[in-house]
Amino acid sequence: MGRAKKRSKKKIIILFLLPELVLLGAFVLGPIAGTVFLSFVTPEGIGLGNYYRVITETSPDKALIIPENIVEAQPPPWGALVHNIVWVAIHLPLVVFLGMILAYLLHEVKGSSIVKSIIFLGMVIPMVVGGLLIRFIFDGTLGVVPLLFQAIGLNSLAHTWTNYPETALISLILGSVWLWTGFSLTVYSAAFESMPKSYIEAAKIDGASGIQIFFKIVFPLLKHATIVVVVMTMLWDLKIFDIVYVSTLGGPGGASNVMALVMYTYFARALDYGRSSATAVILALITLIPGVWFIKQVLKGGPKER
Amino acid sequence: MARVVLENIVKRFGKVVAVDHVSLDVRDGEFMVLLGPSGCGKTTTLRIIAGLEFPDEGRVLIDGKDVTDLEPRDRDVAMVFQNYALYPHMKVFDNIAFPLMIKRKSLGLTKEEIKKKVLEVARLLKIEDLLDRKPGQLSGGQQQRVALARTLIRTPKVWLMDEPLSNLDALLRLEMRAELKRLQKELGITTIYVTHDQAEALSMADRIAVMNKGRIIQVGTPDEIYLKPKHVFVGKFIGAPPMNIIECRIARIEDKYVLECPGFTRTFPGQPRNIREGMRVLLGIRPEFVEVYKEPKPDAIKAKILVTEPQGSEIILNVDINPEGEETLLKVKTKQGPRYEIGEIVYLAPDWTKVAVFDKATGSSLI
Repeated sequence: MGRAKKRSKKKIIILFLLPELVLLGAFVLGPIAGTVFLSFVTPEGIGLGNYYRVITETSPDKALIIPENIVEAQPPPWGALVHNIVWVAIHLPLVVFLGMILAYLLHEVKGSSIVKSIIFLGMVIPMVVGGLLIRFIFDGTLGVVPLLFQAIGLNSLAHTWTNYPETALISLILGSVWLWTGFSLTVYSAAFESMPKSYIEAAKIDGASGIQIFFKIVFPLLKHATIVVVVMTMLWDLKIFDIVYVSTLGGPGGASNVMALVMYTYFARALDYGRSSATAVILALITLIPGVWFIKQVLKGGPKER
Repeated sequence: MARVVLENIVKRFGKVVAVDHVSLDVRDGEFMVLLGPSGCGKTTTLRIIAGLEFPDEGRVLIDGKDVTDLEPRDRDVAMVFQNYALYPHMKVFDNIAFPLMIKRKSLGLTKEEIKKKVLEVARLLKIEDLLDRKPGQLSGGQQQRVALARTLIRTPKVWLMDEPLSNLDALLRLEMRAELKRLQKELGITTIYVTHDQAEALSMADRIAVMNKGRIIQVGTPDEIYLKPKHVFVGKFIGAPPMNIIECRIARIEDKYVLECPGFTRTFPGQPRNIREGMRVLLGIRPEFVEVYKEPKPDAIKAKILVTEPQGSEIILNVDINPEGEETLLKVKTKQGPRYEIGEIVYLAPDWTKVAVFDKATGSSLI
């Protein structure tokens, strides 16, 4: 009887899982499998040709690693994949640092919710609008940043940043810091809210200075929040598309190109679905690295430590 | 080792006056308990001594030195928190060593010396075998000991404790009470201890400061607080069950003042001062200081038993001392022995040398 009961329970479980599995299969797993398959289809037959060509491509609007130099004012000699990595390398530390510091400074200040809301605005506005705003911020005649450099006499930086290959990428990265810090600040603020005040007070009485409290007590206690911020920011940086598309379209001369935009270019302009898929698979594999690490951290389970 | 003096401390949070002109002198090596209901300002007072809050008015002196504006770390105090505040990411060893590690350079200590000190304190508190664990792996009582060890590693001038036993279960609390008191006497550290548990205060303190609504109502030894409450609040707050309060009226019979109470009349106990005829007063009778008789006795108060609450060796009788008039409840604690039935008539003989009389208008003692 027990066995029969078990079997009927199994049936019920399958019955309940079935609709989700069908939907997931049709709309998530299916397209993934299709994309992977498509990435191996070349005019010469099934093979790795698409991957080879995508990786070694040198035309500035599609190059992943090294483009050929066609513009006189030499762009940074790197392709879209490298740009994504540079993006992570600059954006990630800034976002983590700013979010944590701002949350630490603001967590007991009256009226801090107003400041936090303003910073969070960057998260609320659509990224397409955000991209446009970045263009304005760095515009030579209207933008805050060029005007600032003009005011201090640095005329070489008092131009429209997005129009010059030397500054296009960095302007987008800095702009994305503004758009994304709200996320980091929100996560860290929540972490501070849930942290008992007595930890910091005990450390104060025990004789720790503000800096010691931050590095020996606060920072380690924020570990879980930091994992979330690091992983989400990395994923966002690797997948970045909209603000680049709106503000520079990867230009000038591929100087601010990113992976997702290359994929789009293959797909929508070159109509080369095979290479577009290959780019997509490469991008997906790269994003899997932080993704898998994150899932491992989550499965390891934070609650045990607390 | 230090004397702690509070001079006219005032602390406001917005419009709320949390601490209202509090002055207190804690002697060197003394175990002082701040006792009061929640929201009475006792914790805020403690935090002001610690330097976690700064008073709006008044001064804090430790060993004669004005520390009112000093940061906590410059005061040489240590504090045990209600939730222990052990750093969850550090092992027990590192938790205990923390106060020394962060000042290692200025104290000129080597790691070996710190290790020796940690082991010493751990032995004192019997937690040597826990040093490699994380706080999350410890029981409440063990965490408590680690928290105590962390405060003792520096041998602070003043030991501050904010309801340190309230998160422990009842049995462990009783055990820790005695141990804490022994430890404090052994080390001779001036201790200021906050609690809302009057039994804890009575059993541990050298002196108790009873607080209510931001003010200190009475400071005294546990005996003084228990036997000679200066204010009706102290009488009602101390003791389990608390002091019985009966509303009476002062009358004059011939040339003597008497108390006219519901159910009985009695000559005024003690020296009548500041009283006049017709005055409304509160008579305070501790449940423990009443003898219960089954037969009528001269001067005894006739009462009817309403409820009995057996407590093991003792029994608490809830009686009505005014069976003919409006019900007036009195709690009486007596030895278990004779059977008491609900509805039974008994005769009560309070110890009139141990009663209290308060002015109903001000609440202050009239004896």
